[in-house]
Amino acid sequence: MTRPATARWSLLLFVLPALAVYVMFAVAPLVSSVVMSFFNTDRTLGSVFVGFENYIYLFTEPVVSARFWNALVNNIKYFAIHVLVEVPIGLLMAALLTSGALRRSEGVYRTILFIPATLSVVIVGFIWRLIINPLWGVVGFPLLGNQMTALPTISLMGVWQYVGIPMIFLYSALLAVPNDLVEASRLDGASPWRTFWDIKFPLIVPQFGLIVILTFIWTFNGFDLVFALNGSAPGPNYSTDILGTYFYRTFFGSSGQVADLDLGATVATVIFTIMLLVTALYFWLVQRRLRAHTV
Amino acid sequence: MRRISTGVTTGALVLGVSLAAMTSAVTAQSVTLTLGSWRTEDLAVWQDQVLPAFEAAHPDINVEFAPINTNEYNAAIQSQIEGGTGPDLITCRPFDVNNEWIGRGYFSELDGLAGMANFTDTAKAAWTFEGHAYCVPVAAVLAGFYYNVDIFNELGLTPPTTTAEFIAVLQAIQDSGKYTPLAMGSAESWQLAYNGLYSVGPAYWKGEEGRLGLIDGTKKLTDPEFVEAFKSFAAWRPFLPPGQEALAYPDMTQLFTLGRAAILPDGSWNINQVTSTGLNVGVFGPPAVEAGGQRYLQEMPDMAIGINAASPNQEAARTFLDWVAGPEFQQIYVNTAPGFFAMSNQAVTYDNALAQSFADLKTGASLTPRLALDRLSAGTPPLDDEIWRLLQLMMTTDTTAEQATQELQAGLESWYGPQKGN
Repeated sequence: MTRPATARWSLLLFVLPALAVYVMFAVAPLVSSVVMSFFNTDRTLGSVFVGFENYIYLFTEPVVSARFWNALVNNIKYFAIHVLVEVPIGLLMAALLTSGALRRSEGVYRTILFIPATLSVVIVGFIWRLIINPLWGVVGFPLLGNQMTALPTISLMGVWQYVGIPMIFLYSALLAVPNDLVEASRLDGASPWRTFWDIKFPLIVPQFGLIVILTFIWTFNGFDLVFALNGSAPGPNYSTDILGTYFYRTFFGSSGQVADLDLGATVATVIFTIMLLVTALYFWLVQRRLRAHTV
Repeated sequence: MRRISTGVTTGALVLGVSLAAMTSAVTAQSVTLTLGSWRTEDLAVWQDQVLPAFEAAHPDINVEFAPINTNEYNAAIQSQIEGGTGPDLITCRPFDVNNEWIGRGYFSELDGLAGMANFTDTAKAAWTFEGHAYCVPVAAVLAGFYYNVDIFNELGLTPPTTTAEFIAVLQAIQDSGKYTPLAMGSAESWQLAYNGLYSVGPAYWKGEEGRLGLIDGTKKLTDPEFVEAFKSFAAWRPFLPPGQEALAYPDMTQLFTLGRAAILPDGSWNINQVTSTGLNVGVFGPPAVEAGGQRYLQEMPDMAIGINAASPNQEAARTFLDWVAGPEFQQIYVNTAPGFFAMSNQAVTYDNALAQSFADLKTGASLTPRLALDRLSAGTPPLDDEIWRLLQLMMTTDTTAEQATQELQAGLESWYGPQKGN
């Protein structure tokens, strides 16, 4: 028998490697970027503590703040399109896959629908750019060249690529629904539609909520697809600029913009705070109350 | 035991001392310089062509080409130099980035270097700080108009020399109904500025006169010559291919190389791609405003080489740069890297025929770099990025040249000192 104290120490020992890696590569950079956002680095003076000056600059300088709000609003749209299109389609696909209607071809469909999620964004961007190219592609309208359509177009490319993720997520949740409940509802004469919404769906609501909040995190961390298609100053007229590209442009600079590390760290901290608040609020207000029906 | 080990130690010591003496004798004779660069693709050019030629003339100096990935170059050089491990020779970015580096004391001054006499002030401008030169100009890129000679012959057209002729040529190609006049799209806004406005604009703002006027605050973007320049560029819009709003740079090049468009406004860096399909390609320069008027050509300084101020081999580095400033180096470099052009005022011949005709455009033309990269983009909002954005709006929405220049001027005045008081 190991004594409790020893057990506690060995537990700590087991956690330590993972904890060290996590602290070194996630916590430390995060903290140092938050710290950095309170400093102003100057060629002659070195790093000087400036309190909230960077934040005041970010939210009051006309151009800088206008671009920030523009990126935030675009990001909200980017998220909304993903939630309204990707998650429902993922749910539909998961429902069809588990409905038994596909019989033996279920595995084939599952694989095919998931394949885009394994592709590189650069490839996805390239393929779609060719498909919707007004010169060589199937659509004559310059979808990416119009301020109204550019962001929805890019969002839908993202949806196309990642629809497999909510699908596989909800698919595994639906598989876990006990068969006897479904059986019972069928015996009671419920239609498949009714069975789905009144029996299966309530049982997967927690996972559904989770995929929504994960989509939020992914889209607010979004960067790659927009960058691959439109670079670090995504046009036209910044209509496809999201927080990730805004941060990139500020921190690393663009062709004509000199990199500003302190302001970049400030932007990163603001993005982190937004995500932290929304995620915490969600878990506190919503996820806590969602409970899988106990059978 | 003890005796033996002492003997061994003494032997090793003697050997060590003599070895050290030998190495120091060698270093007295030959010096190895490292050259930092972002042109990873030029490795063979330097190792097989350029450096052997230099070392043949200077057997006591070895130069090692040590490139870094283009995207990481600025950050890598900065951290190396700050950490004291920078290369002896540093490839210099043009204008603002380099000014920042000069300001931080990265470079040794080159004022007394004999070879610098081979360059005009305009050529040196991108690497001059407070009146002192810090880098030897290596290469520039030019921008102009590639044209499909066969289409021009078929339609009986000749390369235009004035703005009016240019528009007439575009109209004639449009009227023929067979070809797109201009292979250009607005999806990548940078090239609206670099291949469009910065080519045709200098004829209106008189090249350096207008550019330097903006920098010292005596001219504004809302002045008539700038508004006219923007208008002259906006006049291209009816001649662009359908769906141009979403056409990217590779699309333009393809449209031209497939023979479906007659003219491609582009830079010399694209020479190899443009001729890759065996098309009969010619090149003409930006038109003058009126017949007999001054011609202008966009010559964008691209790279130069300077000496790391912390390098222990200052003399050897100066010897190398003196050679880089001379015709032998220029001749080798521009011919192994077509699309790049020598910036010195000495005659250089180009083996690539299209490169030669590009170089010929320099004769009689006033050279000027891109409008907004010198000082005007070192603040928020950066003028260059803003010009891209507004040109894109001009070519895709109903934004006019007047509105665009007003917005640009307001943005510039918001942070750029010399423009503030106006």
